[in-house]
Amino acid sequence: MAFYEQHIHPKPTTFISKYIFSFDHKVIGKQFLWYGILGLGLGGIMALMIRWALAFPGEAFPLIGQFMFPETGGVIPPDTYAMLFTMHGTIMIFYAITPILIGAFGNFCIPLMIGARDMAFPLMNMLSFHLAVLSAALLVISLFVPLGAAASGWTAYPTLSTLIGSPGTGQTFWAVAIFVLGISSTMGAINYITTVITLRAPGMGYFDMPLTVWGLWLTAILNAIFLPVLGAGGLLLVFDRVFGTQFFLAGAAATSGTGDPVLFQHVFWIFGHPEVYILILPAWGMVSDILSFFSRKPAFGAKATALSMTSITILSTLVYGHHMYTTQLSPLLTQTFMTLTMTISIPSAIFFANWLGTLWKGSIRFDTPMLFSLGVVFVFGLGGLTGLYLGTVTTDLYLHDTYFVVGHFHYTMAASVLFGSFAAIYFWMPKMFGKMLNETWGKIHFWLTMLGLNGVFFGMLFIGYAGMHRRLYDPFVYEFLQHLVPINTFITWSAILMGLTQIIFVVNFVHAVFWGKDETDPNPWKVGTLEWTIPSPAPNYNFDKIPVVKCGPHELGNPNLTTGRDFQYQTEELVEA
Amino acid sequence: MSRVATLDSAELEGRRLASSIAMTVVLVSFSMLFASLFLGYAYYRITSPVWPPMGMSKVDLYFPTLSTFAILLSSLSFVIFKTKYLGGGSAKKTLPWLGLTIFLGLGFMFTQFSLWADLSGKGFYASSGVFQSLVYAFTWIHAAHIVMAILALVWLVPTTLKNECTITEENKVNNIGKFWHFLGVIWLLMYFIIFVI
Ligand code: HEM
Ligand SMILES: [Cu+2]
Repeated sequence: MAFYEQHIHPKPTTFISKYIFSFDHKVIGKQFLWYGILGLGLGGIMALMIRWALAFPGEAFPLIGQFMFPETGGVIPPDTYAMLFTMHGTIMIFYAITPILIGAFGNFCIPLMIGARDMAFPLMNMLSFHLAVLSAALLVISLFVPLGAAASGWTAYPTLSTLIGSPGTGQTFWAVAIFVLGISSTMGAINYITTVITLRAPGMGYFDMPLTVWGLWLTAILNAIFLPVLGAGGLLLVFDRVFGTQFFLAGAAATSGTGDPVLFQHVFWIFGHPEVYILILPAWGMVSDILSFFSRKPAFGAKATALSMTSITILSTLVYGHHMYTTQLSPLLTQTFMTLTMTISIPSAIFFANWLGTLWKGSIRFDTPMLFSLGVVFVFGLGGLTGLYLGTVTTDLYLHDTYFVVGHFHYTMAASVLFGSFAAIYFWMPKMFGKMLNETWGKIHFWLTMLGLNGVFFGMLFIGYAGMHRRLYDPFVYEFLQHLVPINTFITWSAILMGLTQIIFVVNFVHAVFWGKDETDPNPWKVGTLEWTIPSPAPNYNFDKIPVVKCGPHELGNPNLTTGRDFQYQTEELVEA
Repeated sequence: MSRVATLDSAELEGRRLASSIAMTVVLVSFSMLFASLFLGYAYYRITSPVWPPMGMSKVDLYFPTLSTFAILLSSLSFVIFKTKYLGGGSAKKTLPWLGLTIFLGLGFMFTQFSLWADLSGKGFYASSGVFQSLVYAFTWIHAAHIVMAILALVWLVPTTLKNECTITEENKVNNIGKFWHFLGVIWLLMYFIIFVI
């Protein structure tokens, strides 16, 4: 194939060239990891504040409330509430999950797993991270401008997001920050796509790539195609706000000569629906691999899994209308979008069945990465099922804009992707940092998170089904929602549990990175993909000698193996089972 | 520079391929940006019974037509530059064509500024209505790309003067050329869709 060998430059020596202006994909991956973990923390605190307001309306937020909202005596004010859910969504999606799964593990895993020394364009890779930092800076600034941060939801629908709905500069900063982040992610995507096509080690066909790489690669393709769409929407929004254009002002071209807010929804969701798959595809890929590694048997139907991920990628570009059933789309359109949405169930069912097939009769090892991967199977299953209710026009007319939607996308996106990220962190930790995370604490982390998380998100499905709308400051001013106070309180306590549990993870992680014992075994999980053939942490330029690939990534549990191992490395000649 | 000596032919081939794949992805991304804008245009146009809406008048074609000539000629001149450069032509032979490309690019920007001045002189502002917004937003965004592309063309001047064409230079010239032609094509689309019809 198009393989070529990159030549080796000397190791950087100064602190700056090593950690700040590094071209090394592994270092850039770690930079993104820290960046994303910070984002998780910030977004998480915001989530707790939102939950506090919903469970204990009118009570002061504990500890920091008095300092943040002195004028209300610590109670979260309504406009701040709107900023909180906006920034929570924005930060979690664009500044936490995206950098961890795509930025950190995309960078770290792709070259290592395909046997390359680095990305195809290391300089562009570094710039991509620097732009991401710039974008985060813009977003943080937006928190402190007069009239406060953006408050129109992560979807930034006009007219909430036009000058009429948000007169402050916070919304403008938001749009510019997202635009810059879009450029950063597009640069990353260009790199990933090219790297996978041109730098696979000799002998590695597309179906010899680990499914992790498949997921990341498909994600990169979607990113390169659809981020510019969001970019266009964001630009027009900025024009409306700064230069007085009329794209999204209320009214319609026909009657008043002005624009139409609904156009933004089209543009947003043409990007937005692929975006949700952008986030989930890497997690799917990783989970597919990890399930096989820890069941000690080949991934069931790996080729079918890869192909169904590909068809989901393609289909995901055609279903965005299911977010807009209530915007007076013509019934012909809503029916079409509904049918297309349901079509996605077919490939989804295929790879979901493949996951179960992988587990079937495996000799499962319940290490922490496996626990989190099994967690993904469970929560994604639930999330996917709730999607069917929303994808059906008739039921969605009732469920739209309720907490049911919030529960749905937290199960599919927040829960699955979060668990996928944790699985990846626990799994690749030894290769990244040369240290293991503590297993016992890892398991405690998993179970408590699982408990809290389901309390939160299942509760959301309930209250949504009972009719509670999302984004309301105090839903209990409505009589018909007052009986939901107890369940909201339960959700909040679950959220507090889940939030506090993450402290365990952070302590475990920081402790391992800085003070942990070195892991001497280069292959602690006993798997055969290329990154485990080299020492831990992965050395400068990864592979001294570029490996030659002779078999697929999931050759485990073959009874005919004579090496004394139950798996084979991808560099070994395939032993027939 | 002794770059050539340190690269084996597989790496040469690989870098050529990587560069062209990456550039293809770049162009797909930029196409999607402009496609979204055209989608917006179509959306407004389809929902409006008359176009331009509400008694707004069309834009005078004088300056847009001049822009079209400038950008078409610049693309042509770039092609000549590239052929001569990759054919091993000396700086003396290639530089004038690169210079002409840049000059025509600047000429394009000049006609754009004239267009904007002309329009606002006639009371045609971005805030007057959605048609005006479309005209301005399209031309602003396109012009911003042109400015970037002109800077990239200027960046080729020292490359040309170096009088040595390795894979790095070759990729650079090819990619910047693709981007320049791409902007020309986008302008043509804009010219017909927004100004003519
Ligand atoms: C199994 C197939 C899926 C179906 C049929 C489906 C369907 C839907 C529908 C119809 C909506 C709109 C609900 C409404 O606003 O009324 C929706 C919202 C959403 N879905 Fe899904 N979905 C699926 C999978 C996913 C996945 C895998 C993710 C993410 C990884 C995801 C993330 C979201 C998000 C973020 C929203 C709401 C965004 C918002 O309004 O703020 N969905 N889904
Ligand atoms: Cu969707």
